[in-house]
Amino acid sequence: MRLGLALVLLGASVAVAQEGFPLDGTWRGERAGAGKVPETIVMVLQWDGKKIGGVINPGPSAIQIADAQLIPAGWKVTIAAQAANGKPIRFEGAIENLGEYNRAIAGTWTQGGKSFPVRMVRE
Amino acid sequence: MRTVIGVGCLVVVTACIAGCQQKNAAASTPTSAQSPAPRFPDGRVRFDRAPGEKGYWDSPSVSGLVEDGAKVEMDAAGKLANLADAAKVAPFQPWALALYEYRQKNGLKDDPMHECIGPGNPRQMHTPGGVRIIQDRNYNRVYLLFGGGNRSWRVVYLDGRTPPNPDEVVGTFYGNAVGKYEGDTLVAESIGFNTRFWFANGGLPHTEALHLTERFKRPSHDVLEYEVTIDDPRTYTRPWKASWTLRWVPGDIPEQFCETGQK
Repeated sequence: MRLGLALVLLGASVAVAQEGFPLDGTWRGERAGAGKVPETIVMVLQWDGKKIGGVINPGPSAIQIADAQLIPAGWKVTIAAQAANGKPIRFEGAIENLGEYNRAIAGTWTQGGKSFPVRMVRE
Repeated sequence: MRTVIGVGCLVVVTACIAGCQQKNAAASTPTSAQSPAPRFPDGRVRFDRAPGEKGYWDSPSVSGLVEDGAKVEMDAAGKLANLADAAKVAPFQPWALALYEYRQKNGLKDDPMHECIGPGNPRQMHTPGGVRIIQDRNYNRVYLLFGGGNRSWRVVYLDGRTPPNPDEVVGTFYGNAVGKYEGDTLVAESIGFNTRFWFANGGLPHTEALHLTERFKRPSHDVLEYEVTIDDPRTYTRPWKASWTLRWVPGDIPEQFCETGQK
């Protein structure tokens, strides 16, 4: 009972808080991968006042984001990068649930000539 | 007798629920607005009570932050009377203006204070409920005690310490503040904020780059002048100022606590 209440309270507390720049933070989602196993995508984004920087899948194989844009009209997001094999990566989407801490970016991830629907939630 | 006390309490509570704002305004009617500010024996202005006195600061003259000189109407929660005035409120970067308008259009429903998250700084200075500014001269600190919001407090260090590197601190709701006196003015500089609060009624955005310079003056016994300079180059195109006053209210800060669900 107590554990249940604690989980409810935790859920309530993380559901409402707001943050500054809408894209700042760590975003996690999945896209279709080889076979039936989906591939996890993690993006870390940060606004420095002039430019949005960040990486895709931080770690030894991290991919630097070459360009990221937030268009306030419709809260559209575009991200461009280059995979280790030199092929371009492009994401186009929009922010969902803008007012929430655990907001999401949903859109289309294009890589290697294929496009996948992706929804990344802010952690 | 118990019944009388019970009815009396009910009347008081009902009156407060009906209009705490009005009660504060009445209580703060200046009785000695022109009286000089009290001072310590060495001449330093007291921002709190003189010995034997009871009182605190309340009844902020504004309900939200607006750049000095701009004429913008808003209600007690900071909701604009005219959304078209949004761009006048502050020198927003495009994303910040869009987010401010989004919050305004949403009726401020995402306000973290609705869930008892602290107002943070400087919103606390225009949140009704009472403020005390305690000058601890032994430790060279100033404590600000807040009756409104979630009934919290903050410290301004006047001991000459170097403020921490903002990139190396864990951001907080009130930041890390150091201060000094410039004549009769207390000046506080704060950095190291988190972004989990709205720093003003109405949903003005900010980032972790927020740097505040606050100036407190007590030109007379009953008046506290407060000015804040907001410098957040990730959110605003230039530093900007807002200022307002608070009134001296005789008595003690009323006891109240935030409860979730008070919207």
